[in-house]
Amino acid sequence: MFSLTLSNIIITILIYFGARLLYKHVSNPFTTPVLLATIVIIIILIIADINYEQYAPAKDWITYFLGPGTVALAVPMYKNRVVIKENAVQVLGSLTVGSIATIASAVYISKLLNLSEMIQATSAVKAVTIPVALEVVTLIGGDPSLAAVLVITAGIFGAAFGPLCLTLCKIHDPISRGLGMGTVSHGIGTSQAVVEGKLQGAVSSVAMGAAAILTSIVLPLIYNIFN
Amino acid sequence: MRNAVIFLLQVLFLIAIFSASNFIVKYTNLFIPGNVLGMILLFVSLTLGIVKLNYIEKAAEYLIKHLALFFIPYAVGIMTYGDLIKTSGWKLLVMIVGSTIIGLIITSGMTQYLSSKEKQKHVQSDSQ
Repeated sequence: MFSLTLSNIIITILIYFGARLLYKHVSNPFTTPVLLATIVIIIILIIADINYEQYAPAKDWITYFLGPGTVALAVPMYKNRVVIKENAVQVLGSLTVGSIATIASAVYISKLLNLSEMIQATSAVKAVTIPVALEVVTLIGGDPSLAAVLVITAGIFGAAFGPLCLTLCKIHDPISRGLGMGTVSHGIGTSQAVVEGKLQGAVSSVAMGAAAILTSIVLPLIYNIFN
Repeated sequence: MRNAVIFLLQVLFLIAIFSASNFIVKYTNLFIPGNVLGMILLFVSLTLGIVKLNYIEKAAEYLIKHLALFFIPYAVGIMTYGDLIKTSGWKLLVMIVGSTIIGLIITSGMTQYLSSKEKQKHVQSDSQ
């Protein structure tokens, strides 16, 4: 059992570093490490006939570092505090409008596609970091395990295709790019914003934290307005 | 060897902040998660000079560089939702893609618009 856990941890780390190396040479949305590594690991687990429950101990070890890793985001925030402070008004305003637009559009599109009310409610939390999403989703009548899937997918999509969308829309300003990534794609978006640049990463961390705080306070209050 | 020890101590320091934050969240029923509280606490400590950048900088940079790795096992969990993906996967994908692009463009577009206006104002006031 322990050796399976150890080999799962080693496989995950190796595939991740492999994907990272590939991304350095061929960087396009499909080679974004979090997307490519996830797909490759799923394929390996299926071929090796390892189910997710058997993979879970390895998951617990690796994902534990998300905690200190998120705490560490205070460092780029601190190093870029002057720039962020200078842009505080734009940052807070855009972040609030953007978060509401993300939530409203998710619920509205779910409605248009005739998805169930439970899925509509769950879609509202898909942009925020997992621990917050799981807390808030139950308050508005959604499902936590579906929330985890939607949050992860939104994160991966944003990380992989967000930078391209921004470039296509001629949004080149690093603060603006980081802010959008953190607002719609939480920590996974931030992990990609960090690759783009330190300032992007710093602003994305602020956006991720602020969007999480904003959503957890505001969403339960306003959810009925949208519905 | 010395560097490795320093690095490990720095990681432990970040873990200590994270654990303390989790503890605070648990016993005060705070509405934000432990990791976000930890981020805020560390930021405040750095600003107040309670924690110096060199206590944590090396470990922090390394963890942030590889943040994506720590998410991957959660993402792998999508493999357990085969049935959901078969029945309403494309609808969920349309919703996620649509809403993520809308949110992203509005957030980033608005920031860039507002800061370019701000810069114009500065340029105007400089020339006056």
